[in-house]
Amino acid sequence: MSFFRLVLKRVLQTIPLLIIVSLLSFFIIRLSPIDPLAELRLNPSISQETLDKEIKRLNLDKPIGVQYLSWAKSFVKGDLGYTSAGEKVSVKLKERIPNTLLLTTVVIFMTWMVGLPLGIISAIRKETFLDRFLTVLASIGMAIPSFFFAILMLIFAVKTGWFPVGGLTSYNFNELSLLGKVFDISKHLVLPTIVLFTISLSGLQRQMRANLLEVLDSDYIKFARARGLSENQVIFKHALRNAINPMITLLGFEFAGLLSGAALTEYVFQYPGLGRLILEAVMKSDINLVMASLMMGTIMLILGNLIADILLMVTDPRVRGAKE
Amino acid sequence: MRRVFLLLIVSLFVVLCLKACIRQDVPEVYLENNYGSSIKNIDYPNDNRNITIDGVDYIQSQAPIGKFGGELIVSTIGEGPKTFNPCNTKDATSSSMAGLMYDGLLTTNPRTGEVVPQLAKGFSVNGNEYTIFLRKGLKWSDGTPISVDDVLYTYWEVVFKGFGNTATRDAMMINGKLPKLYRIDDYTVKFVTPKPFAPFLRQLTYPIVPKHYYKPYSDKGLSVFDAFLTPNTPASEIVSSGAFKLKEYVPAQRVVFVRNPNYYKINKNNERLPYLDKLVYLIVGDTNNEILKFEAKETDILSIRGANVARYKMKEPVSDFYVHNLGPDTGTLFLVINLNNRKNKDGKWQVPRIKQSWFRNKAFRTAVDYAIDRDGIVKNIAQGVAEPLFTAESLNSIYLNKNIKGHERDLEKAKEVLESSGFVIKNGQLFDSNGNRVEFDIYTNAGSLDREAIGVMIKQDLEDLDMKVNFKPIEFNSLVNKLSQTNDWDMAIMGLTGSPLEPHDGKNVWMSNGPLHLFNQRTPNQKYDDRLYWEKELDEIFEQGALKLNFNERKPFYDRYQEIIYQEKPIIYLYSPIRITAIRKKFKNVFPTPLSGLIYNLDEIYIEGEN
Repeated sequence: MSFFRLVLKRVLQTIPLLIIVSLLSFFIIRLSPIDPLAELRLNPSISQETLDKEIKRLNLDKPIGVQYLSWAKSFVKGDLGYTSAGEKVSVKLKERIPNTLLLTTVVIFMTWMVGLPLGIISAIRKETFLDRFLTVLASIGMAIPSFFFAILMLIFAVKTGWFPVGGLTSYNFNELSLLGKVFDISKHLVLPTIVLFTISLSGLQRQMRANLLEVLDSDYIKFARARGLSENQVIFKHALRNAINPMITLLGFEFAGLLSGAALTEYVFQYPGLGRLILEAVMKSDINLVMASLMMGTIMLILGNLIADILLMVTDPRVRGAKE
Repeated sequence: MRRVFLLLIVSLFVVLCLKACIRQDVPEVYLENNYGSSIKNIDYPNDNRNITIDGVDYIQSQAPIGKFGGELIVSTIGEGPKTFNPCNTKDATSSSMAGLMYDGLLTTNPRTGEVVPQLAKGFSVNGNEYTIFLRKGLKWSDGTPISVDDVLYTYWEVVFKGFGNTATRDAMMINGKLPKLYRIDDYTVKFVTPKPFAPFLRQLTYPIVPKHYYKPYSDKGLSVFDAFLTPNTPASEIVSSGAFKLKEYVPAQRVVFVRNPNYYKINKNNERLPYLDKLVYLIVGDTNNEILKFEAKETDILSIRGANVARYKMKEPVSDFYVHNLGPDTGTLFLVINLNNRKNKDGKWQVPRIKQSWFRNKAFRTAVDYAIDRDGIVKNIAQGVAEPLFTAESLNSIYLNKNIKGHERDLEKAKEVLESSGFVIKNGQLFDSNGNRVEFDIYTNAGSLDREAIGVMIKQDLEDLDMKVNFKPIEFNSLVNKLSQTNDWDMAIMGLTGSPLEPHDGKNVWMSNGPLHLFNQRTPNQKYDDRLYWEKELDEIFEQGALKLNFNERKPFYDRYQEIIYQEKPIIYLYSPIRITAIRKKFKNVFPTPLSGLIYNLDEIYIEGEN
């Protein structure tokens, strides 16, 4: 019962949040001095008539309030409208979402598969050489800016010729066999994955280490040890279960980052994902596209938190109790 | 001890990094005026011929016979094409890709710039009557014959009705009247313009579209037609007439074209062209990525910018590419001065009164012109890969006024002109005759490194005249908004692309009511006439020049317009970049021309060693 109440409450909370986010972003974008028609205006062969036609098509002649309302009306109906180039926003998003999801899920899966164990190991082997070594690695990973690392990787690709320079598929992709296609995509994914993996791994590993250390320091662990439980039992049965809770909240945020987390890396690697699309849309003030992506980001964030909450209810009896 | 050691390691690392940077940026040899194989040494093939085989009117290429097969991979910067509808393209990428798939009745001779037949077999001009003869036996890529109906449809129902991009319709309009198009017989059509109108013939390069494929969409109205043939249209569906047809479009990654089996151009062995099986455009986000892709051998062609030219030129002998010098660009880079003396809607001066008195003063503008060190800009910013520019027409324009020789930087003369007009220098500061300190802003679009660097140099040049210059790079869109809407700016560094073939295309810039009349922008509905005397003359020139049909008759008009701009200096031209392009050596039949660039003849290019 409490589960459904939680979900319902969250969904209801979403509505005012979406309205506020959409209002704010719509007005900020529209009030910025960016003119979506700037390039056309500077083209000597474009006549005033064509310009007027474009202004009408993009609704730029109406007051901003009216523009917002007409956008909101179609958004509620599930219609995301058209981009300034006249393509359907939903189509544009649909062709990019799988690409971004592919990259981010691979990265998140890898970081969690590697990051959690590493964090646990370095917490258990605190102050040993291994821990120090991992700390140094993590510091490097956190300190290096993702775009810079990405550029280094690109240069590496050019110099060695082992990896393609950006993109997702080779130009002859459609003529490859199934196995060839898988190999082709993997080859393209290696470098961006390395960049994103290195950067998010460090944070995750450090977080896990800190959580576990804190728990290991608590009284009930001391008690468990005093009861004569084996170290393995202490750590995996008692310490880890408690240390994992903050990580679940983190996982919720990772979910929100699924669609937007890799924008910068995507741009440097010319990866055909959402990040690049949205960045280009913002620069041109392509309002429908930007709004759709912002709304999507908001919904993903709320959804991520919801999932985290539900997972917490499963893992943590205290949360369950509090909610009831 | 450990700290010292650490410090040593860190400083060693920093030094190594710095050293790597230094080596990268300074070309070891400064190759002045020697960037790539000069176009003059190229042995061009003869012009194409018409040849009829089995009732089909082919074009026969006179280029050396090549081998079939292989692919050419090029890169295109930006988001890729926005539409494949050739009637609705508004950006360069879309129009060049649509241009590959759709031919016009006529085309431009890539070397001379003359108008020559393409889908048409020939044409004749008689005053204001243009008779066009069509080829027999041509087919669209889906096998449907290309007929007179397609031509009539394209003009009657697409162009004349204002579907898609209306640039061609606007250009054909003479005093608000469109030309008439008549069908004479199955293979002949006739255009009749209200008056003889020179730019008209070139408008017939407009792509002819297949009626059987387009009509269902154009019948549904303007908005359906505008959204027709977005890049997501299934490739197999698109019907084309050009050398290539679309194979696939992968968003943000690539566009792949394959040979059109029904293309109507043949080689000297009477085999259907093109030689290449495939033409691939990789969509890349920026120049850096383009360079990386070329270096990694993922692409075959690279346009090289200033700083890199020396490096590529040095690598050329030991690499698998040739570097071609295509001569000056069609684009122009300039400093424009705001001569506006109007008030905005709120009754405020768009340009303050004091500044108006400077900017509208020819002596002031002349002084600015003489103070600018174009040679310095060319050497420092374009790395010598550019030519100083003094004319409104670009250097490769066939209408270039060669009598305008330009001038060196001359500070003395600039100061003299200023003084004669009442300006005085006091304590290293320039004042006008009313005692106002001369201080103004120069804008350009932020993010364009070249323009920002030019701005800094011009600021320094003008400060030698003791003017106070505030250089403000602002966001591109904001700049355009200032230039075209609010008009509250002083000077701006800008660039425009021009047509090297048809000066009338610049009418939106030069005619006083043009929407891009940058230096004295009027609102579209301005009622009163406040043209300067030379603006009146410009209006006259652009009206009259279009009415003369013969090149030799037209030339004096456009010579005069360039002279006016050079004398009055509302726009001070700076330089034209020289285009340098690298292409892999394995590609043959590459005949670069200054007018059309490197790969205008994609149907003739082949790969050596392919079977």
